[in-house]
Amino acid sequence: MAAPSYGLIATFDTTPDLYHAAEKVRDAGYRHWDCITPFPVHGLDKAMGLKRSIVPRISLCGGIAGFCTGMSMIWWTGAVDYPLIVGGKPLFSPMFAFPVSYELTILFTAFATIGGMLFLNGLPMHYHPVLKYEHIRRGMDDQFFLVIETRDPRFNLANTKALLEKAGGKNISELEA
Amino acid sequence: MSSTHAAIASAALPAGSSTAATASKALTVGIVGLVLTALGVAVTPDKHGPVMSYLVGITFCTSILIGMLMLILIHHIVDASWSVVIRRQFEHALSAFKWLFVLFLPLLVLAWVKPGFVWPWMDLGHELHGHGTVGTDILYQKKAGFLNLNMFTGMTLAFFAGWVWLSARLRKASFTQDLDGDIKWTFMNRQTAAFGLPIGALTLSFAAIYWVKSLEYHWFSTMYGVWFFANCIRGALAIGVIIMIWLWNRGDYKGVLNTNHFYSIGMLAFAFTVFWAYITFSQYFLIWNANVPEETFWYNLREVNHDGSTNQWWYVGLVLLFGHFFVPFLYLLSYKHKVVHSKIKPIMWWILAVILVDMCYNILPALKDGHGDSLPFLSLNLLWVLTSVVGIGGVCTWSYLKSFPTAKLLPIRDPRISESLTHHE
Repeated sequence: MAAPSYGLIATFDTTPDLYHAAEKVRDAGYRHWDCITPFPVHGLDKAMGLKRSIVPRISLCGGIAGFCTGMSMIWWTGAVDYPLIVGGKPLFSPMFAFPVSYELTILFTAFATIGGMLFLNGLPMHYHPVLKYEHIRRGMDDQFFLVIETRDPRFNLANTKALLEKAGGKNISELEA
Repeated sequence: MSSTHAAIASAALPAGSSTAATASKALTVGIVGLVLTALGVAVTPDKHGPVMSYLVGITFCTSILIGMLMLILIHHIVDASWSVVIRRQFEHALSAFKWLFVLFLPLLVLAWVKPGFVWPWMDLGHELHGHGTVGTDILYQKKAGFLNLNMFTGMTLAFFAGWVWLSARLRKASFTQDLDGDIKWTFMNRQTAAFGLPIGALTLSFAAIYWVKSLEYHWFSTMYGVWFFANCIRGALAIGVIIMIWLWNRGDYKGVLNTNHFYSIGMLAFAFTVFWAYITFSQYFLIWNANVPEETFWYNLREVNHDGSTNQWWYVGLVLLFGHFFVPFLYLLSYKHKVVHSKIKPIMWWILAVILVDMCYNILPALKDGHGDSLPFLSLNLLWVLTSVVGIGGVCTWSYLKSFPTAKLLPIRDPRISESLTHHE
């Protein structure tokens, strides 16, 4: 019995070929698919119909959390846990809590950004089905690939294959899961 | 791809006549503003108010021009690419420096005719509130080598000479390259940037110190020049965006600008919002924390009256904290607010407005009543601030529009022009 299929992979020789193929796959309504390129291709995200990442929202949450942590930490240590008058200043003022809050805003924003990015893109990833494809190394050099997964609701072996052929894909083959 | 862009760009070169009408309108508005300001000086019994308001106006407009000069110099020193498409507009605007000098002359003449009228330290007999005169004041005596009329005049002349000279070099190299395409002009601009940046940094810092900070010559702050620089750049970026959208709507910039140009300039505006807040907060925080009377009095003037009651400047300070930092900071966090024309434009006008309030906050509290309290913010002086800004700004706009048809819309032979036209595409 054949191993379950992960999807179809098609090869392209140039960026414009891949770019226009991506537009066709996007317009056909596929959702679970990806492009593999040796370098970032400007505008490919638009051709793939990708929306802007939600990482900035996660960063914002991290920043707000950091600011609040800084303010409440200085307030709690200085005005609640161990009240001590220093230099005639009040026990708590946002003035001197600000540098700490500012630093924590940056720190927590950085944590949330990196963490959110890793969470969303699933890195580090030790195995991916395309790694079994014999020519995949060319994708780190001079060739471009487009992969459509079988789990996509629109996936249909014959139709998807026809779409990739029509889009100019070569060496269309099935990937083992 | 770049060739099609260049074709569109050269097709959209400005037609001289279309700006000529706007230019003469701007000049008319400018002259009306200046005449109204002069009228304000004539009809107001205490002439300090309108004259100080004029100082606010000229400092505000000069700060924007300095910001443009610094942005061009930074552009050349880092060999930037994306900003090539908007650099030309800043170069046109730099033509206004000579007019700013002309418009500053009345203040310079006033300093000689009536020393101490604007800057109290120029009059050694000026009575200080409660402790003798300027001449007998140890803090003045120690600074007298720096704060005297000859130095003030010489330095002010040197500031404008430096700005006009740097502007002329940048404009000549850039405009000539349009014609002959010689790479040597790019290298000349880079050299101008290498020595122009320190000159710009020193002149803008000393201009802020002589023109604004010395109004309270007792005060100490090592952040002052940097505070002024932050406002300069923020003002220049705001005007830059407004010009970009104006030229887009006119059709000149269609096919030239893409989303990423707005994103990049929006990010710079965002970064300098944080920078301004960092500098302004640091200045306040260090003075608040050290609590030394020679420093705190400057903020006390802007918070309380001599009887301890809160004055209007306290609320102006809060307007700056929220309006100059939090509002633009939170607003510009969003990607959409940086790239959608109708969203980035209002916040740029807002930033210009709060820069003006910031200038008022730094200059106008030097006007004091008999108790030594600062005169309130809400007064007729605001009207003279507005007429001054309209007057001086009108003349600057006229100068920009007059320069506009004298060169191509874009530096089409800049080595980085195609990189700029396809910025992140």
